[in-house]
Amino acid sequence: MEFVDALTGFRVDGRRPNEMRKLKGEVGVVARADGSALFEMGNTRVIAAVYGPREVQNKGQQVNSKEALVRCEYRMAEFSTGDRRRKPKGDRRSTEISLVIRQTMEASILTELMPRSQIDIFVQVLQADGGTRSACINAATLALADAGIPMRDIVTSCSAGYLCSTPLLDLNYVEDSAGGPDVTVGILAKMDKVTLLQMDAKLPMDTFENVMGLAIEGCKAIATHIREVLLENTKRLECQRG
Amino acid sequence: MVGLSEGEKHFIRGGIAQGIRTDGRRRLQFRALSVETGVIPQANGSARVRLGATEIIASVKAELGKPNILHPDKGKVSIFVDCSPTAEPTFEGRGSEELSTELSVALQRCLLGGKSGAGAAIDLSSLIIVEGKVCWDLYIDGLVVSSDGNLLDALAAAIKVALSNTGIPKVNVSLSAASDEEPEVDVSNEEFLQFDTSSVPVIVTLTKVGQHYIVDATSEEESQMSSAVSVSVNRNGQVCGLTKRGGAGLDPSVIFDMISVAKHVSQQFIAHLDSKISAAEAAAE
Repeated sequence: MEFVDALTGFRVDGRRPNEMRKLKGEVGVVARADGSALFEMGNTRVIAAVYGPREVQNKGQQVNSKEALVRCEYRMAEFSTGDRRRKPKGDRRSTEISLVIRQTMEASILTELMPRSQIDIFVQVLQADGGTRSACINAATLALADAGIPMRDIVTSCSAGYLCSTPLLDLNYVEDSAGGPDVTVGILAKMDKVTLLQMDAKLPMDTFENVMGLAIEGCKAIATHIREVLLENTKRLECQRG
Repeated sequence: MVGLSEGEKHFIRGGIAQGIRTDGRRRLQFRALSVETGVIPQANGSARVRLGATEIIASVKAELGKPNILHPDKGKVSIFVDCSPTAEPTFEGRGSEELSTELSVALQRCLLGGKSGAGAAIDLSSLIIVEGKVCWDLYIDGLVVSSDGNLLDALAAAIKVALSNTGIPKVNVSLSAASDEEPEVDVSNEEFLQFDTSSVPVIVTLTKVGQHYIVDATSEEESQMSSAVSVSVNRNGQVCGLTKRGGAGLDPSVIFDMISVAKHVSQQFIAHLDSKISAAEAAAE
């Protein structure tokens, strides 16, 4: 299958190779959570909810009482994928993604400011169309900011791939399942540090640099968008206070 | 888990006894309802329903399947509920399984009727394509995104909206000569059939707190309940299903009283929901 049109250079969904899908961020979507957010990247749509910081519920899980305990659970809705298949809860893929999100978020949360407490991050995928990992991390960042949890920086994530000898930004499901390399990068936007880096399949070193550079560009664009969403939300709150 | 002090508990109970609740509602008044349709593009029908701070997403997916041997003239419908941990941290991992099952079973009881499919909310024989061979399997999924009490009523309302939003693809069956061969089914991408959802019931849960009962309880109010009766009623005022929850026993005369009140409230609720559905459909177009 041709993923980049040889003539026009457009991708299957009509995007240019270095074009991202439409982003949408919304804060405060779950009324009873301490912080929550909805994040959309094209047709991929996820909700994140944050509970905490609160008392540690299960003392056995607390490793270091001088730091906050960060926990994360990733779940996919039954209707999120095209074909409906019941998966057991806590399958290996979900467990792995939960772990990845937890580690990425832990890197930015100032855990030492909240000793003996616990922060729960729950992400729920409503629609999966490639890049759920990235969308979840972006949603979690928004939700953590909404909950007012102190963070070093905004963490954002974006994926990039390499198909038909072209580096492609923000793969959708069709491109993702094409079997080419898929590089998912998470960065601390202002500090310019990489906190997450995953790739499957193989790629020559020099091409990898280009693809990763593209993904980082994507992350930065998302960071700008997230900042805008948060700023707008803060302005709205300011208005409400009068 | 709701952590309430003695004073708060007393305040909630006292308010209900006097007919004015903590959020200013009367005993038989619902919270603000908001309805959105077509929220999940890859489903055949979907809806998001908000009742106060309770939020439900329901989706309907249709797949081709084989009818049950015992009922060759009927399609199949299954209902699954999932409580997302975004709604409540205790739903994490397997924590929500018990509640999800309880809700799924209660919904099945109210919407699917008996084993034979008689009394079901949807006419199951309309799901048949070739008798004994091919039928539509409807999978109804409810996802609790945010929970603030009264999940069952909100789920039933969301399913009703999702079903009214559902379009089943039109199929053309090319009948092969030999009747024992598998018929070829051609699913149309353009033409869709709508369901008759007028007989889909709504569920009204009456929560008994002290001497009185209330509709649409928040989770704070639910923590003070002694028992609750969920009645599913259709447009014609017929009772389609009943579930009693909670530890305390109820006097039979109280139950009859509750059913008649639920019947009365449900008619207003159905009318309200219908107007919301048509408004949502108009907004979606």
